[in-house]
Amino acid sequence: MSERKIKNIFSQGPIPATFIAESIQKHSSQTAIGGHSIFLGQVRADETEQGKVKAIDYTAFEEMALEKMHQIREEIFAKYPITCMHVHHSLGQVQAGEICLFVFSSSAHRKAAIDSCNEIVERIKAELPIWGKEIMENDSHQWKVNK
Amino acid sequence: MKVELTLFGQLADIAGRTKFQLQDIPDTDTLQKKIHEMYPEMANMSYSIAVNKKTIHENTVFEGDANVALLPPFSGG
Repeated sequence: MSERKIKNIFSQGPIPATFIAESIQKHSSQTAIGGHSIFLGQVRADETEQGKVKAIDYTAFEEMALEKMHQIREEIFAKYPITCMHVHHSLGQVQAGEICLFVFSSSAHRKAAIDSCNEIVERIKAELPIWGKEIMENDSHQWKVNK
Repeated sequence: MKVELTLFGQLADIAGRTKFQLQDIPDTDTLQKKIHEMYPEMANMSYSIAVNKKTIHENTVFEGDANVALLPPFSGG
């Protein structure tokens, strides 16, 4: 169907702000782009019945997640006139306040970038086999539930 | 028929392991029954089943050895 190959989206630990800045910088040569849309997921220090969240420990069924992400990527490219899209998700521990998800889409005009970015984020949360274990300040834990 | 089982999230917590094998399991209904006998707590939990990385929605007969994953509700992002 398509020649795009399966890309890895996972990396260990938080996504550094410098990595995000460099990703933006890399697009300056692509002058057909008129708008970028970026979503950054940050670990929230939720107050739960178990205690206050200090970190989330992410695990994934990586092979299945990458195949699914590939399918989502194909469908998003088919649906929106976007120039490119990039997705990065953390594995392992990410502390409260650190970035765990980075979604970046670009297009000639803003609407496609904004709408596709939104849809990619929603589909990642609903469809990728990834699990977050919330680690509390008292070192107890509970499994995160997406709302 | 050999089933290589992988557990994730709270299911792995309950089992105390992430991988194990089961023998002579013809289909996913039998597999679930067996797992719920081993870990009664799982009978009340919501999870989906992936056979060779594809989510299934009804009883699936194994054609040869299979990799089966038990997937609790996703919570990425």
